[in-house]
This record gives sequence, C-alpha cells and structure tokens, in this order.
Amino acid sequence: MNRVHKLSTASPARRTTFSEEPVRSEPAVVEGKDDKKSSARWLQNIDVYSWIKDVTPFEWDILLASTCFKLLLFPAYRSTDFEVHRNWLAITHSLPISQWYHDTTSEWTLDYPPFFAYFEKLLSIPAHFIDPKIVELTNLNYDAWSVVVYQRMTVIITELVLATALQRFIRGAADPPMQRIISASLFLHPGFLIVDHIHFQYNGFMFGILLWSLLMARNGNKLASGFFFAVLLNFKHIYMYLAPAYFVYLLRAFCLSPSGELLPARFLSLANAVILVFTASLGPFLLMGQLPQLLSRLFPFTRGLNHAYWAPNFWALVTATDRVLLKVAHVFSIQSLHVNVSGVASTSRGLVGDTVFAVIPNIKPIHTFIITIAFQLIFLTKLWRTPTYKSFLAALTLCGYTSYMFGWHVHEKAILLVLVPLSLLSAENNAYFRTFTIASISGVYSLFPLLFTAAETPVKIGYSLVWAVLTIQPLSKRVYEFPMSLPWVILDSLERLYLAGFVVLQAFVTLFPLLTRSQAASKAGSAFEFLPLMLTSVYCAVGLVWAFIRLSVIYLRQT
Amino acid sequence: MYKQGLRHHVIPLIILSSALIKWCIGLGSYSGRGTAPMFGDYEAQRHWMELTIHLPTNKWYTYDLQYWGLDYPPLTAYVSWLCGIMGSWIDSSWLALDASRGIETQGSKNFMRSTVLLWDALTYTPAVLYFVKIWLRNRSPKTQHVATMVLLLQPALLLVDFGHFQYNSVMLGFTLLAMSFFAAGRDLWGAVFFVLSLGFKQMALYYAPAIGSYLIAKCLSLGPHNGPKLFIRLGLVTTASFAVIFLPFLPPLSPFPAILQPIHRIFPFQRGLFEDKVANFWCASNVVLKWRIWMQQDTLIKLSALFTVAGFLPGIGGMIYSGYKLRATYPAPVLPLLPYALLTSSMSFFLFSFQVHEKTILVPLLPLTLLLSGAASSSFTFQLGALVNNVALFSMWPLLQRDGLALQYIAAMLLWNRLIGYNPFKLRQKSLMEYFSVTILSLCTMLHVLEIMVPPSPRLPDIYPVLNVLLSTPVFGITWLWSIKRSIEVSWGLGVLGLHTKPQEAIQSEAGSIISVEDDRSLVGGNSSGVGLVHSASRSLSLRTRSLGYGAEKRPSLRSGSFSGET
Repeated sequence: MNRVHKLSTASPARRTTFSEEPVRSEPAVVEGKDDKKSSARWLQNIDVYSWIKDVTPFEWDILLASTCFKLLLFPAYRSTDFEVHRNWLAITHSLPISQWYHDTTSEWTLDYPPFFAYFEKLLSIPAHFIDPKIVELTNLNYDAWSVVVYQRMTVIITELVLATALQRFIRGAADPPMQRIISASLFLHPGFLIVDHIHFQYNGFMFGILLWSLLMARNGNKLASGFFFAVLLNFKHIYMYLAPAYFVYLLRAFCLSPSGELLPARFLSLANAVILVFTASLGPFLLMGQLPQLLSRLFPFTRGLNHAYWAPNFWALVTATDRVLLKVAHVFSIQSLHVNVSGVASTSRGLVGDTVFAVIPNIKPIHTFIITIAFQLIFLTKLWRTPTYKSFLAALTLCGYTSYMFGWHVHEKAILLVLVPLSLLSAENNAYFRTFTIASISGVYSLFPLLFTAAETPVKIGYSLVWAVLTIQPLSKRVYEFPMSLPWVILDSLERLYLAGFVVLQAFVTLFPLLTRSQAASKAGSAFEFLPLMLTSVYCAVGLVWAFIRLSVIYLRQT
Repeated sequence: MYKQGLRHHVIPLIILSSALIKWCIGLGSYSGRGTAPMFGDYEAQRHWMELTIHLPTNKWYTYDLQYWGLDYPPLTAYVSWLCGIMGSWIDSSWLALDASRGIETQGSKNFMRSTVLLWDALTYTPAVLYFVKIWLRNRSPKTQHVATMVLLLQPALLLVDFGHFQYNSVMLGFTLLAMSFFAAGRDLWGAVFFVLSLGFKQMALYYAPAIGSYLIAKCLSLGPHNGPKLFIRLGLVTTASFAVIFLPFLPPLSPFPAILQPIHRIFPFQRGLFEDKVANFWCASNVVLKWRIWMQQDTLIKLSALFTVAGFLPGIGGMIYSGYKLRATYPAPVLPLLPYALLTSSMSFFLFSFQVHEKTILVPLLPLTLLLSGAASSSFTFQLGALVNNVALFSMWPLLQRDGLALQYIAAMLLWNRLIGYNPFKLRQKSLMEYFSVTILSLCTMLHVLEIMVPPSPRLPDIYPVLNVLLSTPVFGITWLWSIKRSIEVSWGLGVLGLHTKPQEAIQSEAGSIISVEDDRSLVGGNSSGVGLVHSASRSLSLRTRSLGYGAEKRPSLRSGSFSGET
C-alpha cells in the first residue's frame, strides 16, 4: 500500500526543503467528515494480496516462528491485567456506553481512553460467539481455557499492526539490511513478550500505532503522523509522555515554514485532524456530560512516588540513597540528621502507598512535574532548532525517557516508551548503539520482576538472552568503533563490566531465596523477599540513568 | 547469520532456543493431569522417584504393582532415584511415600519438567552434537547447523517428552551416542552406550538386531584375526555393562530369583496385542481381521514374533552379508548401512511386534530423522522423512489431545516444518512423492477438521482414532519397505552386489564423503561414487536453508538473509 503516497510526498521531500513539501496528497487523509471516512480511503489503498506478496521469506520466518513460540506461552502465568481486560470485554459488551466509565462491578474499572473501550467492544463480539461466559459482567475471574485462548489470540493478532509497521519501515529505509535487523529485533522484543504475551497487555498493538505514526513522519507525511498519534493517545493516555516532542515537531516542521511563518492551511488541517480524532473518541461522553467522570478514571492522583516495585528510575536511586543514609544514621547515631520517623517504616518493604523518605526531604508530585518539564524543555529547544526526522526520534525518546526518569508513580512497563523509539536510532553510530545496548539490557532486565513465578523464569531469561545476542551482535558488527583514547577505553570497560554484572545479579536473585529459606520461614521474611527486588531496581536504575545521561549528551552535542 | 559475526554463536543459540522451546511446551498440560485415581505417565515417573528413594532395591519391582509399578529397566530406576534425591532436597512433600500420590502443585510440576530438560541436556543434546560432528563431518557448517536444529526440535519427541511427559530422549540419546561411537571407530564405547540405552528403556531393543548385526558385520569385515578378537571384546564389554546395570539384582547382592522381578516387569507378555489405538499392522488390520478373537494369546505372541523377525531380517541379513563380502577393508565399510538397518529393524518392531504403544513411533523416527537431517530438500529421503515425521505426530494426536496438548501440537509442528523449510503444499513442479505427501497431509488435515465439525456417532465412538490409524499405518509401512530398498541400494553402492564395481574404490569414496546419510541417486544407477551427490546435495541444501536465514537465495529480488540482514 501507500506506495503511490510515498512517491508523491516522500521522494520530493527528500530533495527539497520543508517549505516545498507537497501538501497535495495529504488532505486526502483528512478530507473525510470523520476518521472513519479517511480510514476508508486508507483501506482502498490496502491491497491485501499484494501486501502479502510483498512479505519476504525472512519476514515470514520471523512472524511464524515467533507466533509458534507465543502459542506455547498460552498456558503461562498471567497477571491480573488478564482479568482486567476480560472485565472490560464484559463491560463494553453488556453495558450501554453511558455506563462504561461508571461501572464498578469489578475492582478493575475501565481506566483507558474511549478508543480502547471501543476496541474492547469490537473484541467482545467474537468473544460472545466463542464463549458467552467471557462477556458476562458478573463472571469475575473467569479463567476457562476458552477465554485464555481467545484473549491471548487477540494479542497475537492485533500485534500484526506492529508487524506491518515494522515491515514498512524496511521498505524505503536508507539502509534496508540494517533496518531489517532493527525491525526484527523490535518485533521480537522481550519487552513485548514479557508484558504482552505472558503478563498480558496490548502494547504490541499500540506501539504498532506509534510506529505507523513514526513511519509516516519518516516518509514525510507529517499530517498522517499527527493523526496516528492522536489516535494512539485515545487508546492509551500514557503516550502523553511523548506528546511534547510531537507537538514541537509538528508545529515547527509542519505548521511553520523554515523561516518561521505560520502556514495556515497546514495548521488548520492538522488541527482539524486532531480535533476529529478527539471528537470521535470523547464526543459521546462529552454529549452525555461524563467527561469529568471519564477523566477521573484516567488520572487517579492518589498514588505514591514509587510503584510497589520501584521502577528503576532516578527516584529509585534517591529512595535507595535514603535507605542507605538511614542505615548510616543508625550506625553512627548522628543526632544532627533529621530522621522522619514515619519514613523509617515506609518503603523498606516496598508496599504500595506513598513513599516517605526518612532522611531526604519528601518529594511532591509538583516537584516531579517541574523537573520533568525542565528537562524536556532542553530537548525540545534542540528539536525546535533542528526539526528533522532523526532529531525528532531522539527528542521523542528523550521525552519519554525524562518522564520515565522523573515522573510520579512510574510503572516499570513504561520503559518500553523509551526502548522502542531508541531501537530505531540504534544503528546511527556507535554512541547511539552503546546507549541502546545499555538501556535495552537494563530496561528488559527491569521487567523481569513482573514475572515472579518459577516456571516463567527460564523463559524470560532464555528468551532475552537469545534476543540480545541476535540483536546486539550484528549491530555491533556494523557500528562498533574501538575507543580511541584512554578515558574512552576506561568508560568502555566500565560499561562492559556493568553489563556483565547482570549475570551476577541474576545469580544472586536466583540463589538468594534458596539460601535464606530457613531464615525466611522464621522471621523477617518479607524484608528478605524485598532485597533482591531492591537490588534489581537499583542496579537497573544505574544503567538507565547512565543511558539517559549518555543519550542527552549525544543528542545535545549533535550538530 | 554468518555475515553478522554470529558464526560462533549459532550452536549455542540453537541449543538455548531449543531448550527454551522445550521448557515452554512444558508450561502446558501433561498426561493424566487431574484424572484421579490413576493419573498418567507423569504420575508414573514421579511415583518411581518416590518409591526408589524410599524403598530398598529389592522392593523396587514389587511394590504395589497396581499403582504404576516400575516396569522399566534399572537405569530408569537409578535416574529416578537421583532425581528423587534432588527433588526431596528441595521439597520433600513432592515425593513423600504414598502421601504424594497424584500431587499436582506448581512447584512439583516445575521440578518434574526441569528433570526432563536436565536429562535431555545431558544425553540427547550432546548426542546430537556428537552425531553431527562425526556423521556429517565433511559437510558444510550450514548443513551441520541445520541438522542440529532438525534433530533438537523434532516435534514428536518434544511433545512426548516435554508435553506428555517421558524420558525418551535419554534412551534415544544413548543410542545416538552409540551410533556416533561406532562411526568414530570406537566400537566398545558404542556397545557400552547401547547397553545403557537398553538399560534405560526396553524399547531400545527395537534397535538391537541392527546394532547386533552391525557389530557382527564389523567383526566379519575385520578378517579372521582381528574379527574374533573384537567379537570377544564386545561380548565381554556388553556382558560387563549389563552386569553393572543389573548389579543390585544379581546373586552376590541378592538371591538369584531377584533378577526375574525386573525381567518380568520389563517384558509384559501378559498384556494384550496392542493398547489403545496404535498405527501398526495389528491394530490397522484389526478393523477387518479380528485377531484377538481368532487366536490365542500364545499364538499371537508367536505370530507377532515371526512377523517382526521376518520384518527386520532383510536389514540385518544385508548388513551381515555386506560385512562378509567386504572383509578386510577399513574403516568400517558397512557403516552407511547402519541407519537404514536401524530403521528397518525398529520399524518392523513397531509394525509387527507385541504390545506396542503409539509413542513408540519415536524409536523408528530417530534413524529416519538422522537420515533426513543430512539430506537435500529435493531428495526423496528428505521428503519421506519430513512426511513421516508429520504423520508420526499425527498418529499421536489422540494421545496428545487427551493430554490437553492440542495447542503445543500445532505450534511444534508448524515451527519444525518452517525451520526445515518443508511445505509440500507450495505451488511448484512436484515429484510423485510430493503428490503422495500432499494427499496424505491433506487427509490428515481433513480428519482434524472433521473431528472438530462432526462429533463421532455413538455407534462408532472410536471412528476418528481408527481412521487415524488407517491413515498412518500405510505411511509407516511404506517407510519400512523403503528402508529395505535403500539398504539394498546402499549395499550395491558399497560394491557388495554389483559385479563390475571395484569394492575398494567405492569404499574409499564413501569413506571420504562420510557417510551414507546423503540421498544417493547416483547409487541407484549402480554408480558407486558418492562425489556427484555431495554436489547436488549441497546445491539444493542452500535452498532449504533459506528459511533459516543462511543467506543463499533463490529469488534474488526477495532476499531474506539472516535474522540480521544481508549485504
């Protein structure tokens, strides 16, 4: 599909400057009265047969082999998210739309934006035919084989959105063999395997939309890029982390001419597209006067700084420092240090709830917000000055990364927001590649605690290992440069040492419960339980913070 | 892969991936899950761990025989004992005597699954690596890697061992090691490993005529001086190995009748001609010929023995005759016959012998997959090997379905066929064999679809298993006949049968291009040289390896290349 599209827009765009980019074909996308019409246009372009013919044997191999493997994971552990999504199937199927965001039959209330609710509604129709019990509202914690197969299957099938986007990325890439490695590595990403195919979510599908949006940006079709991103935001609002970069990029590179003048036609078409998407999504709830209710579901500001398991970000390091300082204060009985008594009991066990520091001054949501915005502004300024696709990718990654690093109540799964766009940059040069390696390995490792069951432990470790070798080895073969001066040699060795440390960490995490079995049974069990988690979090945080600094410096120094 | 600096990572990656897949198959259900009071093979294996760690050896073969009494040879018992020791160190409740019967906790399941993976990693995996190193030593690294993958991911074995739950890979691994030791010229080690295989599971007996005749042929070929010497040594080593395995049941350690306990348990002639539905001669012909009504059990036993012997006689006869004709030549000139003889012998046991289980198809499947692993994708061997592997899996469908492994069945089958690049449904010029494969596989698919769409009528509750048997048996029968035909051809190629060929040269070239495992079209023509065929084999292999990402492409426009891309 969209081969015509590309010819008419992308190729001239490469030759010329921004201002000369043809706008002609773009209104085609927003011409329609609503997004359904425009998607009908889209569908016309999609010739399924030619698309299938276009898939290379290599791509079939990846798709089939990974699908077979994912089938084997059907009986694997699944988190409560599985029941969350089943409940949403039931809500959207058995209740009228006005009740969707009000229902509290299950504790897992609907808290994704409306597009996702529509999506669940769509999925609930075949579900009803396969097993009516799936969509029964009161049938809580239903876990028959039928619902497992159905829900797991929908994850695999909707992930084709990701597959097609990645496949399109290879076509028309500057360096197709390189892009092929990156595409394959993204499709097979252990993050998706762990979070989607075992833990259970639909990230593959939604990152597929993100990648379609990025693909459009790469092909010079910025309007479509903005459209897709607006759609994505209405599927899952966590992608707001990335919104600032989109805003700046589209404003600067699409709505303004290089000299800084506003191009009204473009601005209006983009605004219309976005407004249309939001109207289609929120419109019904706006009419029913449910917007406040909907928003209160989407943004529950009642959580603590850290999640139960500290997401390995800046705050994990701060929290860990606080713990260490507390110990120091205890050992040396420093009176001058002000110890917050309530903080002593808090967080050491990693319970859900507000994190209260014992030594370090407490953090409020507004602090995290200010820090995040401040960092993002730095990167966005750079993006404003160099509004190219690559610069956009880097700024996008950094936007997500900043939110992950300093955000309030960040979940470890959010690391995918960083790893996915970063992967697209991994083959740029050695610096990006190194950053990618460190971030990916620590990021993927930080997802391991999501699967705490023994049966899945070999799966997550083995799969990630295979993936890492298959991704990093060929990339490194292409872009690795030997460090030329002493400081770089030292840095290189330190980074290698850090990566090797994961083996030791895993050995510790595996053996620790076995060694402390006897103590754990008697007393202080939970403290022992939490130590491996804390170590994992802190160790991964070191790598992720370092990769963040690395990426920031690389981006800001880039000309 | 080769261009991306992954060359040295290929074998470890294959091993790791195959272990991963095996473990993931194990995430699913197993035989007899939740079916009290008897459960299934899973419980049997677990029960043996339980009884071996809690009881003295003289009770092993006599304790509560009604509840999964031990009926495998002692090596299985020792392995169970070792696993049991480890398991009860982790959690003794998993293996408490009697109290743990039918235990189905997640922890005990993980433990049981990990023991299969462990023993597989200790026996079958190294055996495959060694086999590839020895038997395919003159082949390209690509061929070797493909062969490793073909053998490590063989779906029938994966599903029975890691899904249904058994330890067949240990028995098969020992036999495979024995074969490789024979090929390496270390016959005594080979004999030891074959005894280990027999000592682990009596099904290895299906191979015994082939192995025995190979060793006799080898002795014959060594001539009047060295031959008897090797023969005596082999005899001593074999007896000693058996003695070691059965040591706790032999006179100094226990009274004489003790040895009869395991023997009785291992060879259950008191059971029926076949169990359930199995795709062999007896069960298939039972549709029309009611053997069990017409004849006494004794007669049936004799008849099945006669048929079995008649079935493997061509294989071992050919082998011994070749050995005699090729005497005084070195290295072991009859070696190329060994895989075919193993196939003939094991397949005839499967088709004709007494008390065969559907899972036993794994035994003839091993030599066939070995032949397949080195064959070119256009060759008859490859086509037949791949077909039989699929049909064998299909023949176990009723069993796997009962175990709740339908999903794993589909996934493992698709994965393996994709990896080896087998797709007879592809539109292209087809050989007769491919038409045959397409027909059989379409029928299998249709049967699956029918089974979903139309429930069996009450009058014919077993209609689907019976149709399954009727469909699978002819394929196995053809494989058996083919193996005999190939034995004759290979003997011919070795210069045994041809009048005008010079045995010496034939042997030289055969030994040079070791070994037998190719598709020898040239041999069919009476030409004994193996050179031409190595050529053709490697040419078409590159096609087959396409799907594995090894680079060489037929369609240059749609380069696939490796995981990691291409220049």
